[in-house]
Amino acid sequence: MPALQHFCEWLYTTHLSISIRQSAYLFPFLETIHTLGIGGVVGTIAILDLRLLGLIMKREPVSRIARQVLPWTWTGFAVMFSTGLLLSIAESQTNYFNWAFRTKMVLLLLVGLNPLFFHLTIYRKVNTWDIANVAPLRARLAAISSLVLWASIIIAGRLIAYVNT
Amino acid sequence: MLLLRLSHWLGQTHLGIYIRDSSYAFPAIEIVHLLFLAIFAGAILLADLRLLNLGFTTQSASRVARELLPLTLGGVIGMFLSGLLMYAGGPMRYYHNPAFQVKMALFAIALVGHFTLQIIVARKDSDQVRHEALLKAGAIASLLLWFAVGFAGRVIGYV
Repeated sequence: MPALQHFCEWLYTTHLSISIRQSAYLFPFLETIHTLGIGGVVGTIAILDLRLLGLIMKREPVSRIARQVLPWTWTGFAVMFSTGLLLSIAESQTNYFNWAFRTKMVLLLLVGLNPLFFHLTIYRKVNTWDIANVAPLRARLAAISSLVLWASIIIAGRLIAYVNT
Repeated sequence: MLLLRLSHWLGQTHLGIYIRDSSYAFPAIEIVHLLFLAIFAGAILLADLRLLNLGFTTQSASRVARELLPLTLGGVIGMFLSGLLMYAGGPMRYYHNPAFQVKMALFAIALVGHFTLQIIVARKDSDQVRHEALLKAGAIASLLLWFAVGFAGRVIGYV
């Protein structure tokens, strides 16, 4: 048995996992907060992405929008991550075999690499294109991949509840 | 009851029957509803935070309200239409569902309240800071109301 599967099965038997599963209200409650947290993350990052694509707030420099939006994106991320962790602990044993859950984890990894790459490359020279109506091609590609990846994460996340392992 | 008759009719349309009988239609529409929610929630959050002076303070409140209007308005239209399709797939399941009734009542209040506020702010020409306390109270009410709408929405599936 793979180590990760072993770990998930152990996690499933922990007190925390069992209490979330057995409570009638805890799981839906966490799920609601998780969904609203996703709204916070994706909705705010989408504003920055749309600015990079030159669709909104064209008169505002990109770096200013980034500075204003990102603290709220990270706040949303903290909410999304902590509730998501509890939800996956509650269903660790079944989630391990769930292809939608696996897909979502891979997509989350990719969506994390995207800003890392963006900040280390094209965003370093942001002062040269900060006030441009439309950002350079590489920045626009980063914006499009961010939007596509987050949309796929929402789709995969919702499918977890529908697919049978 | 007009609403009841309308609901019955909606459930009997080809579209309503298709959504009810297909095993993929409902999850697909639900996902579209959530995708619109993500765009909508972020735009609402930032529009209200601006009124509370907690974000986007480098731009005037009226410009932020104006720039975000296509996202909040587009988001709410997308959510309403996808929501209507979910409703069409089984109107009677929702019509008598207390969580759904609460959600619709809250939605009506939030819709009128929030968009009145956002459009008033967006239409201001200058960046005059009159009635600031009133705008802040409105922004807090908007955030709480939309939060309650989302919460009631999730409860629909559980009662």
